[in-house]
Amino acid sequence: MARQKSLPSAPEASGHLADKTLIIDNGAHTLKAGLATHLDDTPPNLDSCHIIPNVIARSQRDKRTYIGPEYSDCLDFGELAYRRPVEKGFIVHWEAEKAVWERSFLHKDDAVVKCDPEETSLILTEAPNAPVALQRNADEMVFEEFGFAGYYRTIAPTLNAYAPSPFPSTATSVSGVPLECLLIIDVGHSHTTVTPLHHGRPFQHAIKRLEIGGKTLTNQMKLLISRTFDVHREDHIVSEIKEDVCFVSQDFNADLERVWRGGRYDPRAVDASLLVDYVLPDYETIKRGYARPHDPAVKLRDIMLGIGTEGGRREHVLTIANERFVVPELLFSPADIGMRQAGLAGMVLQSIDALPAGFRQAYLANILVVGGTSKLPGFVQRLESELRSLVDVDEVVRVARAEEPAKNVWLGGAGMAKSADLMRSLIVTRQEYAEHGDGWARRVFAGKARR
Amino acid sequence: MATGPLRFCTPHIDELPTTGSRQAPGFAWVAVSGAQDDPAKNWGTSNRKRARASLNGPTEQQKEALSARQQREVERKIRDLNSDNSKNASELAIPKKEGGAGASGAVRAGKTPNTKKILGSGKTFAHYLDDEEAEIARTGRRDVDVEVSTGVQRPSKTPIARRKTREDSSVSGSPAPVTPMAPPPWPRTAQALSYGEITNLDDVDDEGEDAVPPLPSEAQLEALLNAPPLTYGQARSRPPSSSAAPPRRFCETCGYWGRVRCMKCGAMTCSVTCKDDHDQFKCLKMYA
Repeated sequence: MARQKSLPSAPEASGHLADKTLIIDNGAHTLKAGLATHLDDTPPNLDSCHIIPNVIARSQRDKRTYIGPEYSDCLDFGELAYRRPVEKGFIVHWEAEKAVWERSFLHKDDAVVKCDPEETSLILTEAPNAPVALQRNADEMVFEEFGFAGYYRTIAPTLNAYAPSPFPSTATSVSGVPLECLLIIDVGHSHTTVTPLHHGRPFQHAIKRLEIGGKTLTNQMKLLISRTFDVHREDHIVSEIKEDVCFVSQDFNADLERVWRGGRYDPRAVDASLLVDYVLPDYETIKRGYARPHDPAVKLRDIMLGIGTEGGRREHVLTIANERFVVPELLFSPADIGMRQAGLAGMVLQSIDALPAGFRQAYLANILVVGGTSKLPGFVQRLESELRSLVDVDEVVRVARAEEPAKNVWLGGAGMAKSADLMRSLIVTRQEYAEHGDGWARRVFAGKARR
Repeated sequence: MATGPLRFCTPHIDELPTTGSRQAPGFAWVAVSGAQDDPAKNWGTSNRKRARASLNGPTEQQKEALSARQQREVERKIRDLNSDNSKNASELAIPKKEGGAGASGAVRAGKTPNTKKILGSGKTFAHYLDDEEAEIARTGRRDVDVEVSTGVQRPSKTPIARRKTREDSSVSGSPAPVTPMAPPPWPRTAQALSYGEITNLDDVDDEGEDAVPPLPSEAQLEALLNAPPLTYGQARSRPPSSSAAPPRRFCETCGYWGRVRCMKCGAMTCSVTCKDDHDQFKCLKMYA
């Protein structure tokens, strides 16, 4: 006999699909959230997807705590203390996550996406290979604490199959119909996962994970910049530096040679086109750091003291040379920091090798890259060339990045929400949850129990 | 029974990346270095003659100690890299909402007992992983539905005629079939066989262009797609094949390739200028 769930308020009649659907792509760095509805046929609009920082930050300087969307109101990002509810891609600290969700969706005046949970269905994403206890926690929080009318939990890569395909030769998909073969590389904040999908369903045994993500790259960047100037506590600023200045080198050895100063007896001319001067923000005059090409004529000391610069303005300038491409190189060779895992190209091949041989060509030709860290310039090109060098010459390799890598999962979820039939077959309503319990709900989400 | 002196030979233990309380990879590359440069080889003596005289190189025990120490170092570094820098995160109290002062107590704590427990728990991801590992070690992959805290399981009082079989009762159900966690053995051998037959017939004429490997059948495909998800530890990507290049080392000061190793602390630098900088400011001899 299933355990009777006690819900705080009476659930409505089953079978009723809520009009609006809230889709939350719950990431470690940001939430991507927005409403979609199956009542009209307009294709999902990327503008209705809001990116909300998934963090609670406390500033020592203003003595203020910023929750979720308030983070962008912060005027001084120096030395912020962070608390992230999502660890390694899974929602672990629900107290903090509840605060962020409430601030974003339920705040009476200032919600980013205003919605009433009792009349909204929720599509929530999680990272693959979650511990079962965390899945149960999520299900219980959604139904019992927030009281959503319906709910569907899935792993994030599967939603990409419902988003429009970036490959030019593929026919446009009807909403609600997943793409047939896709290999998703999700380069996220905590880690990078490779997921092969078949009609929107993942091959579970072929999902691979690399423990390097945007967070690792930011921390490595902090280490390298701290050789000249200590930035260990400046998470936001270094993250901005990484986004502004880093790129993926197509020929690592050559680029490293170009920026080497040479030995004592063997000095070399540094190729200044690769160097960058980054002006750090001081949150009084300069609100946001920016990069400019290196100017060897100006001495850094003079800039810092304000001598000789126009208007006598003092700037704190860092010169960034090989960190620009050494840091993203970690994704392709994690052994540089001693991590015993294959790089991105090797991991993709491990995943494809785990599939039946007949699918190999199909998946090599349909590789989709999503995730915030994939916005690094040169990423797709480098991945494609590495993959090509590892497979036979007559196998086609096509790698594409989604147009909006951060929002693509949300776009897929919105595409899914447009189709009422699909939603009806997937969503678990509150009524059903109350009757059958969370174990049954979990089996439905895993596709094991038919409704 | 051994009659000679007992020699404890540690077998080469390759620690696979499980998720114990450490979440770092389970090994470190042991850098291959020249005989003279490695300071750890002469235990406490700075005598190069001794190092040279030990003709076999470092003894096994020394190699053990070296690799264990390096392993810990590398694991610590990787853990730091993957951390959130939330040393003071627990001090970050979540401020109460401004509105709803009266109900804020109840709202904060959670509306039902389950949610109260979830909101109040201070578990981190490492705890959940360890719990899951323990659960798997005890039984096959199961749901956390079964109450672990109820102590002794009482013998069933339902009459035998009324007892439902285990598969029907939803309490013991799990999303995954209770089979070992190996991926379903999709008939790789069958595939290979049929592929092999085709190529054997054609191997005189075309190499592989006609012999397209067949797609798996519907049943095999369904079996693959319905397979249970792997656990967190199983999904980590494997290490590269052992024929891959040894790890690349970079200069500590400037970031170019590391070419010389500091004899005292083992760090690599690229040139004399960088090495001077290292000796002056960064070498561990200053603290050791």
